[in-house]
Amino acid sequence: MKDKHIIDVLDNRSLLNLSESELSEIQVHVRECVSCREAYEAARVSAIVLQSRAQATIEPSPFFQTRVMAAWREQQATESVPAMWRLWSSAKALVSTMAVTTAALAVLSFVIPATPASDQTVSYLSADSVIMGQASDEQMSYEQVLATIYEDDDEAR
Amino acid sequence: MELDLARQAQGGDESAFAEIVRRYSPRVFSVASRFFRQRSLVEEAAQEVFLKAFTQLGSFEGRGSMEGWLTRIATNTCLNMVRGAKRRPEFTVSDLTDDEQSWLDHQSAGNEGAQPSVENSVVATDLADRLLAVLSPEDQQALLMIDGEDASIKEVAEATGWSESKVKVRAFRARRKVREAMEKLLARTNAGQVTNER
Repeated sequence: MKDKHIIDVLDNRSLLNLSESELSEIQVHVRECVSCREAYEAARVSAIVLQSRAQATIEPSPFFQTRVMAAWREQQATESVPAMWRLWSSAKALVSTMAVTTAALAVLSFVIPATPASDQTVSYLSADSVIMGQASDEQMSYEQVLATIYEDDDEAR
Repeated sequence: MELDLARQAQGGDESAFAEIVRRYSPRVFSVASRFFRQRSLVEEAAQEVFLKAFTQLGSFEGRGSMEGWLTRIATNTCLNMVRGAKRRPEFTVSDLTDDEQSWLDHQSAGNEGAQPSVENSVVATDLADRLLAVLSPEDQQALLMIDGEDASIKEVAEATGWSESKVKVRAFRARRKVREAMEKLLARTNAGQVTNER
């Protein structure tokens, strides 16, 4: 190993798995070889941080088992309800909302529009009355108008 | 014995399932801790593992240990949880905190026998997370188990369900990437030390 670069060894194996003799050979080599020394230093420090990371484990809290069992019971309860009932339970609110909306739209479409139309007629007649100087119930028909005109003509003759 | 416990739990015996949770929680937490640092995330993952294990109890045939079977479920569940997470780009010396910088200075000065303290462990663990963030979750697992926990290739293969050659490739690739990233950090740290000395 003395004359051979050690980078492949460093990438192939964990430093933890190298024997004492392999490590001492590496250390002899890196005294002479700058590139291998840098690689070995990086591998050594990387091994330290990785071991620290591996030791950073979290222990279960005393309440963890209770929490899991509660979730498990909830899951069991959900699975025991028939599928169609679960579907209806989740869709119930949506279906009710859609029915109310449809009813409201029907009322708005077929009942409410009648009122504004009569209002328009009233206002039209009122305007007509103002212009012609007549009340709406005194308005003359087309025939009455013609008869009145011809009567006036006859009287003039 | 383990098979009996599994069959009882599968049949809806609450105390049997509670016994499985009690007995194997430390192992499942240990696996989840490789993936997450926050307690809330570790607990969430562990709960997911046990609920999933319950639905798969029928597949446990008692040929291997229940701990091994749960380890595999835990590893795959955690991998699925972190797969969607966005990986951080490679960090540089300028991203290091003062504590991380001085820890690296200390290491590159050749102080191998640094005093092991809680603070030093936290800094080293933070640095490890930064380095591991440049790897895929699968490569992180392989490297942490082999180089961090001293697990064998075979043990990693059993825990993950990957072939041994796949584990070797992942570990090689991950080790090289992490070493190269660390080499850059140390080179810049050393350059900074030289500049400061001048």
